Amino acid sequence: MLRSDQILATVEMIQKENLDVRTVTMGINLLDCRGGNIKETCARIEKKITHLAGEFVPTCDLVSRRLGIPIVNKRISITPIAFVGAGFERGDFVELAKALDRAAGLVGVDILGGFSAQVEKGMTTTDREYIASIPEALAVTSKVCASINIGSSQKGINMDALDMVGRTVKELAERTKAQNGFGAAKFVVFCNQPGDNPFMAGAIHGLEEADAVLNVGVSGPGVIARALERLISTNGAENLRLDDLAEEIKQTTFRVTRCGELVGRQVSKALGIEFGVVDLSLAPTPTVGDSVGEILHILGVDAIGAPGSTAILAMLNDAVKKGGLFASKTVGGLSGAFIPVMEDALLAEAVGRGELCLEKLEAMTCVCSVGLDMVAIPGSVDAETISAIIADEMAIGMINNKTTAARLIPVPGKEAGDIVSFGGLFGASPIMPIRNVGKSSRFIAWGGRMPAPIHSFKN
Amino acid sequence: MIISVMSKDRPGIIADVTGAIFELEGDLADLNQSVLCGYLTMILIATFNSSITPEDVIAKLSHTTSEEKFDVLVKKVDTPIEILKARMPEKTYILTAQGKNKSGLVHGISSFCYERGINILDLATTLADDQYTMILQLDLSHIAAIKDVRDDLAGYADKTGLRIVLQHNDIFRVTHEISMK
Repeated sequence: MLRSDQILATVEMIQKENLDVRTVTMGINLLDCRGGNIKETCARIEKKITHLAGEFVPTCDLVSRRLGIPIVNKRISITPIAFVGAGFERGDFVELAKALDRAAGLVGVDILGGFSAQVEKGMTTTDREYIASIPEALAVTSKVCASINIGSSQKGINMDALDMVGRTVKELAERTKAQNGFGAAKFVVFCNQPGDNPFMAGAIHGLEEADAVLNVGVSGPGVIARALERLISTNGAENLRLDDLAEEIKQTTFRVTRCGELVGRQVSKALGIEFGVVDLSLAPTPTVGDSVGEILHILGVDAIGAPGSTAILAMLNDAVKKGGLFASKTVGGLSGAFIPVMEDALLAEAVGRGELCLEKLEAMTCVCSVGLDMVAIPGSVDAETISAIIADEMAIGMINNKTTAARLIPVPGKEAGDIVSFGGLFGASPIMPIRNVGKSSRFIAWGGRMPAPIHSFKN
Repeated sequence: MIISVMSKDRPGIIADVTGAIFELEGDLADLNQSVLCGYLTMILIATFNSSITPEDVIAKLSHTTSEEKFDVLVKKVDTPIEILKARMPEKTYILTAQGKNKSGLVHGISSFCYERGINILDLATTLADDQYTMILQLDLSHIAAIKDVRDDLAGYADKTGLRIVLQHNDIFRVTHEISMK
């Protein structure tokens, strides 16, 4: 029987409230592509990607049309490239990045992630060559994204790698100066990086994964914001309590996740590739009405960053997980609310008004995924300070057994308050002021390792 | 036999109707009923011994003791009735159309479907604050390219001022039901 109220709610969700599947990401294992030399390896990589993902984009488009749900991004994630390119040198890794860029272009995906390494405990010679290649590799390619895992709750934090990534971020921004340091937006540093995250820039196809797998990232901050507004206008704010709002978020997430699961399974079936996970993250876009910040406003803070913001975000993140976990057979990836400053119009505005500072943003990352994401900072901030900001974020992940990440963009030639815009999904924001610049270099200079925390010793 | 009953709604209608069938030793196979603005209509499928005629069923139903008589239609079907519910066709879509209330809206959209060989599996309409909403469940099995229907619908929406959305039934199934099967 047709229940018109339910049907209209779902139609509203898709048509008016920005429900989309943010990404379908195909993970591809490239370990068997290592050849005797760089040329052969590049050729094998291109062949494998074009073979497995040749029909990927048209199939996504077909399913999207059939169901009437937009799939915003079609992406590929690969085995962390430092494993694939074991023994290669810096210049070789740049060639690998170019090969990946070509393959991504050929199959028509929006972006490819996995130009990555996992160095949370130690670095091989290859890892060092790989890190050294990142600025050039990302500057000469357009679709390749890099990420590096430098810490984990099991192994601690690799402080030598941390020192290198601070400098890498700076150099990356300098090399892409003409685009306001956009290269740094394609590089993210992780603690506890998951191997099945479909979101960029941190998507990789983990070593634990099968040959090829499809992961789906749903979206929906706009859907949740509208559902809350509807609930409040129907019942009146005076008749609602916080748990009623949490319940509404949960139920809405259920429906959003189900749409993602449906799309993922249909694409997976059509391509004959195993379905992996649904990532339940609430991923905002710069579009008006598709903001996590807006949900914080609706839930009761007049300024994002005001006291209460962290608590609200904790509840939001938890309710999203509860609704999504039941909706999907397999949940994975990052699964939480994102607060990427440049990609969320309301967060960016809060930075401009001085309501949201780095320290509060850092506090908020303790209760949500994923971390200090898409934060534009002054180009004058030194590499050691950047490393130290990343170290703080890594420590939060390490101690709390959660994924944290940092994607900082030191915009060359710009200072706090200036506006930077990358356009499209990458968004725009005022540059966030950084306090206490240049006061952490002695800490970073130690190098070595931050030992694994006590609660990692469970055997 | 296919039996159709219409009556002003009151408690006991189903008990009366099924009681009459029971007394004629009929076997009730399936029943569907709907209430609109205080009036009930019901369609039943029942099998009887070959000696029972449609007139017997009408006579039995006319003897109920309520103040308002049932309006009854009975049709004898010679071919065996397929009782098992067929699976929903794979290309089942939900079309929602909303706009300012005026006469001819349902006729317009149903004619649109008819002209394209689209069968309407189910239809629900509501009127609220002068806004008329039609929700149609459609079988698009005979349509080669859904895009053509979407394009035609966009043209129809422009012409009529209706807001029309066409989406696959699966979306509504997975968002409204616990099971994903």
